[in-house]
Amino acid sequence: MLEHLLPPLNDHNLPWMDTIHPIVVHFVIAMALISVLFDFIGVVTGRRALFEVSWWNLLFATSAIFVAIMFGQVEAGLANPYGDARNILNIHSTIGWSLAGVLSVLTGWRYVLRAKDPLSLPLAFLGADSLLAALVVVQVFLGDKLIWIYGLHTVKVVEAMRAGLV
Amino acid sequence: MDIWATHGEGGGSNAGGVGVMQFFNVVLPSESPLNQIAAGLGPNDLPYSLPIHPNLVHLTIGLFVIAIAFDFAGAFYPLEKRIFRFLALPVTRPGLHDVGWYNLLACAVISFFTVTAGFYEMLTAVPLAGVKSTFGLESFVTMTWHGVGGVLILLVIVLMTIWRGYQRFVWRKDMGRQVQWPYLFAGVVMMGVLGLHGTLGAQLAAEFGVHITADQLLAAGADLKEALP
Repeated sequence: MLEHLLPPLNDHNLPWMDTIHPIVVHFVIAMALISVLFDFIGVVTGRRALFEVSWWNLLFATSAIFVAIMFGQVEAGLANPYGDARNILNIHSTIGWSLAGVLSVLTGWRYVLRAKDPLSLPLAFLGADSLLAALVVVQVFLGDKLIWIYGLHTVKVVEAMRAGLV
Repeated sequence: MDIWATHGEGGGSNAGGVGVMQFFNVVLPSESPLNQIAAGLGPNDLPYSLPIHPNLVHLTIGLFVIAIAFDFAGAFYPLEKRIFRFLALPVTRPGLHDVGWYNLLACAVISFFTVTAGFYEMLTAVPLAGVKSTFGLESFVTMTWHGVGGVLILLVIVLMTIWRGYQRFVWRKDMGRQVQWPYLFAGVVMMGVLGLHGTLGAQLAAEFGVHITADQLLAAGADLKEALP
């Protein structure tokens, strides 16, 4: 069905110039990690203005991840993973959707905390922050493997795939 | 003139010809300096399996773009106040500008590491032979724009951070709108530059196969079914 909705596939096996998912994830990775970092700096140094910066970054990461998943799903569907890349892509997709849930719950929790007192942050939230950062790092590691080891959507691999070599 | 003549010695039939012509028969040593460390490199031409620069790029681009975006939100605060109220989302104007400042500050710090990692990984890059990018450029020109451009972008990020700091702490300390319009304009221009620059980087990976294990293995004639099970 997809091929009737989208332009024809190019030499990256994509209906658009280049992979979009890795661009959208800039805003999930950077905003989630900086939100966690500013929370910790805020607690350690007592600079409570940073909690507000964390909050906006967290909210943005949460909005961005749904866009990232949309493009991720389309591009994963066109990736033709081979070998162990199939397993990695499965885990990457599962963690991706889970991260959307984790980010949403954290953002909801943070909304309530901020509404009560924007200048304080319970230690439990720092625990949740740590979990979030760990999940993001693992997710980036898996995504990195798909592109930098297996070269999914690179011209050379797509070429080999179309020639039946992988 | 003399310098070129000496430099071109051994250049074959043209040696001793018109000095400027020596440009065109530069003698290149057959050994690339990369061979000196080749034994320590994996199939992706790096001593480790995943390149570091593309990961730090997430932070540089994400932080810069969102910093500028939130300063826009702060600048147009009077217009969007009602929307925030409708969303029951409490918001303060200094809070929005705080994101603009702290994200840019973090971006400036992290980007030094982004450029450093990029430089090392550019030094060990072995782009696929005979490829032209979507932009119609060959690998050397692409790497030059991306490498030199990257250092210049770092310079602009640092200068904009200093500019932003002056606006925040000196010039516009007591004003609601913490940023000047030219600053926001510069931010938008830089987003465009970053987009173009990032596309060059993406082409180095997806088209020139730089530091991609599968691409380099295929170029070496390996069978991926065995090499990357």
